[in-house]
Amino acid sequence: MPWVVVSAPTRPGSWFEGRAFLAATLLVAILTGILWESRHVFLIINIALLYLLPVLIVALRWGIWPAIYAAGLAVLVFDSLFVPPVFRYTVADFRYLIVFTVFLAVAALTASLAGTLRRQMHEALRREALTSSLYELSRQMAAVRDLETLLDEVARHVSRTFATPVPVMIALPDAHDQLRIAVRTPVIDSGYRVNANVLEWVYRHGEQAGFGENKNTELLYIPLKTENKVHGVMCIGEYGVGTVFNSEQLRIVEALAGVAAVSIARMHYEEEAKLSHLMAESERLRTALLDSISHELRTPLATIIGSVTGLLEGMDILSLADQRELLATIREGSMRMNRLITNLLGMVRLESGMLRLHRQSNDMADMIGVALRQVQDALSRRRVTVNIPDDLPPLDVDDVLIDQVLTNLLSNAVKYSPDGSEINIEVEFSADTMTLAIQDFGIGIQPMEADKLFDKFYRSPTVQHIPGTGLGLAICKGIIRAHGGTIKARRGTPRGTVMTIELPLETRLMKEKES
Amino acid sequence: MNKARILIVDDEVQIRKLLTVTLKAHGYTTEEAGTGHEGLTMAEQLRPDLIILDLSLPDIKGTAVLNQIRGWSNVPVVILTVHDDETDKVFALDHGADDYITKPFSMGELMARVRVALRHVALSPEDPILTVGHLKIDLIHRIVERKGESVKLTPIEYALLRVLALSRGRVMTHRQLLRQVWGEQSYESESHYLRIYVGHLRKKIEEDPTRPQLIITEPGVGYRLLAPDASDN
Repeated sequence: MPWVVVSAPTRPGSWFEGRAFLAATLLVAILTGILWESRHVFLIINIALLYLLPVLIVALRWGIWPAIYAAGLAVLVFDSLFVPPVFRYTVADFRYLIVFTVFLAVAALTASLAGTLRRQMHEALRREALTSSLYELSRQMAAVRDLETLLDEVARHVSRTFATPVPVMIALPDAHDQLRIAVRTPVIDSGYRVNANVLEWVYRHGEQAGFGENKNTELLYIPLKTENKVHGVMCIGEYGVGTVFNSEQLRIVEALAGVAAVSIARMHYEEEAKLSHLMAESERLRTALLDSISHELRTPLATIIGSVTGLLEGMDILSLADQRELLATIREGSMRMNRLITNLLGMVRLESGMLRLHRQSNDMADMIGVALRQVQDALSRRRVTVNIPDDLPPLDVDDVLIDQVLTNLLSNAVKYSPDGSEINIEVEFSADTMTLAIQDFGIGIQPMEADKLFDKFYRSPTVQHIPGTGLGLAICKGIIRAHGGTIKARRGTPRGTVMTIELPLETRLMKEKES
Repeated sequence: MNKARILIVDDEVQIRKLLTVTLKAHGYTTEEAGTGHEGLTMAEQLRPDLIILDLSLPDIKGTAVLNQIRGWSNVPVVILTVHDDETDKVFALDHGADDYITKPFSMGELMARVRVALRHVALSPEDPILTVGHLKIDLIHRIVERKGESVKLTPIEYALLRVLALSRGRVMTHRQLLRQVWGEQSYESESHYLRIYVGHLRKKIEEDPTRPQLIITEPGVGYRLLAPDASDN
C-alpha cells in the first residue's frame, strides 16, 4: 500500500519557460529590425545601449534564464549586424565581451530584483487570500451554536476555497472513540472512498497523510488538531485531476483545519460547561426537593401520628369533641400529604416527558365548574363570582390536566387571601385565544417575582409562614405550556394576585371546516 | 337490601381491612380475595351481590378479571383505581364496570357508590317519576319540572337527561352516553356535541350552570347525575 506523505508538489513550468524564450527572441528581433532601418542615425554605442532594453524587459517579466538568453542573443546580433565588418565575427570583436558582461550583469540584477518583488507580491497575495479565508471561516464559526452546523460550514467553506469545488468529508469520534463520517459535501463525483485504515492512522498519530497511487493521492487526510488533542479528521479530495495540492493550497487547507479544530474544541468545551451547569442545577433541585419533601411530608405525618397515638392511648380520657378534633387533624394532615404526592408525581411526569395529552373538545365553563366543585369546601368562606360569555367556543385540551391547573390556581387564591374576600373568575376569547383570569384580593405577589413564581420549589419570602411546596405553579406552567398556552401572574389592583391563562383556540370544528 | 354480600378483590391487606370494617359497620357481609385468580374463583363460588375490584392486581390485570366475570354474570362491579389512569377507568367502565372510585377515597364516597350500584340492579321501571334535587322527571309523560315549573327540553336534551336519570348516581362514560343518546353508529369524535348538549341541559335545569349541582362532570371519564340519596351521607 503506497502511503505518500504529501510534500511540496512540482510546479507546472515547461510551457511557461518556452514562451519566455520565444518572447525574448521576438523582442530582440523587433528591436534589431527597428535599429537596422535607423542604423545611420545612431552611434554604435547608442545601439549597444538600446540592446539593453529587451534584456531588461525579459529579466523583469520572466526571470534570470530567459534574460541571460536575451543578453547573449542581443550581443551576438549586435556584433554581427552593427559592428564592422558586418555579418562577420572577428577577433577584434572580443572587446564587446565587456558589453556582454554588462548586459549579463544588468540581466541578473534586474531579474533578481524583479524576482524578489514578484515573490513578495505573490506572498502578500497568498497571505491575503489565506487570511481572508481564515477570517471568513472563523467569523462563520463564531456564529454557529451546534456541532452539526459547524461541521457543515467548515466542509462547505473548505470545499469552496479552491477554484474547483473539492469533495470534503469530516470524521469525528463517537462515544466509543470510533471515527464516523459526520458530514460530507455534496460533490457530484463520488468516486472518492475514505480508507478507514488511513483515517484511523491519521486520527491516532495526528499527522496528515495522502492516500492513493504514487504522487496521485485521491484523498488528503488532515487531522483536526488543537494543542493536545486530535478532534477528528478532515478528508479532502484532490484539487484538479491528476495533480495534488501545491504548498500554498496545502497551507490554506492546514490553516482551515486548524480553525475547524479550534471551533470543534470550543463546541466540546461549551457542551461540557452546559452539562456541568445542568448537573449543578439538578443537584440544587435535588437538595430543594429533599428539603421540601422532608418538611412537607414530615409535618402532616407528625400531626397524624401524634393524633392517632393520642386517640389510641387516651380513648377514655378524651371527650367526644376532642376525639373529633383529633380526627379532623388526621384528615387534614392526610389531605395535605395527598396533595403533595399528587404534585410530586405531576412534576415527575412533566419532567420525564411522560406527560401525554388526551386532547378532546372541552367546555371551559364545565372545567371551571369541576374545579370549583373540587375546592368547594375551601371556597365556602370566599365570595366567588364567575363571568363566562354564553357563546364560548370549545377548547381542544386535556380536561383532567386543565382541571388540575384550575384547582391549583383556585386553591392558591384561597390560600393567600383572607376569609370573606372575593375571588373573581373571568373568561374572554378572541379569534384565536381563550383567556382565563383568576383574581384574588389577598397578599398579592411582588412585581419582580412574577416569573420566578413558576420556578420549581420557588416560594415567595412573603409567604414562608404558609405551608407549600413551590410545585403547584411549576406544574401549572408545565401543563399550560404542553397545551401551547401561557400562564402569567401579576399584582392585582388594589391588592391581590391575578393569574392569567391563555390557551390557543384551535377547535376541531375549525379544523373540519378547513379540511 | 343491607344484607348484601360484597366481595373485595384487592392485594393490599390494609385496604381490605379498611373496607371490611366499614362495610360491616354498614350492615353488609364481606369476603376478601388477595389476587385476581382468587377473586374469580370466589366470585363464581360465592355469587356475591357486588364486587369491589382493584384494577392493579399482582397476578392478572383487573380489567381481565372484569372481562371474565362479565362473561357469565351481571353482578355490579365497582372499580378501585389510583389517581392517574383515566384510560383504565374509562376502559373498565366501557367494559361493564358499574362505577369507579379513586384512591385515596372517603368512606362516604365509597358507600354512596356501593348503594347506587346495588340499587341499580333492583331498579325497575315501576318507578317512573324520579326526583333529583329540585328536579322532577316523569319518564312516562316525558315531563321535566324544575321547582314545580315545567322545563322545555329538545328531544336530544330529554334523551340525554333520561339516560343519566335511569343510571342516576352512576357515572356514564362519554361513549356510553353517545351510544345511548345518538345511537350505536356514533363516534368518539362527536363527543363535543355531547358537551354542547350537557351545557344546554345545565342552563335549563341547574340553579347556577357555572357551578352545576345535578349533572356532575367526571374529568376525562364522563358525567354523573346526582343520586337522589347522595345528600344523606
